[in-house]
Amino acid sequence: MKIKGAKLVHYESGPNMIPLVDVVMVLLIFLMLVGQFGGMEHYLISNLPYTEKGLGGAKPLAGAVPDEPLDIRVDSSASGGWVARVGKIQTSNMETLAGQLTTMHENLNKVGTKTDKIQVVISPGKNVKYDYLVGVYQAAMDANFTKISFARSH
Amino acid sequence: MKKKHLMPELKEGSVNVTPLIDIVMCLIIFFMLVAKIGVSRGAEPMELPETFRGTKIDDLGNTLTLNVRNSGGESPKVTALVEGHQREIGMDFAEDGKSANSLVSVLSILRARNAKFQVIIRAEKDLPYRLLEPVLLACTQANVQNVSFNTRVAAEVQR
Repeated sequence: MKIKGAKLVHYESGPNMIPLVDVVMVLLIFLMLVGQFGGMEHYLISNLPYTEKGLGGAKPLAGAVPDEPLDIRVDSSASGGWVARVGKIQTSNMETLAGQLTTMHENLNKVGTKTDKIQVVISPGKNVKYDYLVGVYQAAMDANFTKISFARSH
Repeated sequence: MKKKHLMPELKEGSVNVTPLIDIVMCLIIFFMLVAKIGVSRGAEPMELPETFRGTKIDDLGNTLTLNVRNSGGESPKVTALVEGHQREIGMDFAEDGKSANSLVSVLSILRARNAKFQVIIRAEKDLPYRLLEPVLLACTQANVQNVSFNTRVAAEVQR
C-alpha cells in the first residue's frame, strides 16, 4: 500500500538540516564529557625542591661558593593556622611576609649578593598544612627569589 | 526611506534551526580548542591549594604526576600513571628512612630513561608536611631536580 501523504506536501525550504544537527549535537556532548580542561590550574616550578640541611645533603663542589641561605621557619599556630619566622619578624600574614622577604632581598642585593646566589629554605613543622606552605612559597616568589626549596621538617 | 530587513518568509511552519547550528558550531569549535582529549596524565581530582602565581607547562610528555593524599597513617598515599596504568606507589621505608623506597625506584628508572624528566606534585591542600616530605625526599634521592607543585589558579585571577 502506498502512502500518499508523504508526496502530497513538499515545500522548498532548503537542505534538510536534521542529520547535521544530530551529528553536531553528538559531537558537542562527546567533547563536553571527554574533554579535560587545563585552564584552571598552573604550576609552581622548583629546580631544587628539597634540601637536607646538615643531614647528609649533597656536598657543594670543591671551589664552589655556597649560596647565601635565607631560612623561613613555618610552624602551626594554636588556632590551626600558621606562623612564619624570618629574620627578626614573626607573622601569619602573607603580605607582611612577602614585604619582609622583599626588604631582605633588596638588602642582600645591596651588599652584592646576586639573586641566583640566594637560597631560600622553607623549614616547616611536621603538621603545617601544604596549603600554607604553598602560600609561603608564593610569598618568596613575590619577593623575586628564584631558588626556593623545602627543608627537613622540625 | 528605510529599508526593512526581514527574515525570509517561511512557507512552512517548520522550526528555523540556523541560529541553533550557529551556536552549536561555535561551542564545538570552542571545546575542540580548549579541551585536551585523550591526554591523561594521571591527575586525580582533589582540592588543590590556590595561588596567584604560577606558570603553564607546555610539554607534559616528560612529566610524571604524583597524586599525594593523606592515607590516615604515617606515610602518604601516592598514586601515579605509570606505564599506562594508574597505580599506587609504595612508600616503604627502611630503618634509615631513605632506602628501599619504591617511589625512589620508580623515579630513578624514569629519570634514567629521560634526562628532561620532571615530577608534578598534586597534593591535597590539607596535607600535613610530614606526608609531603617523603615525596620530596624521594625526588631528591632519585636525582629529579625539576619538581612542580600543581595549584589552582586563584579565584581572583580567574575573574
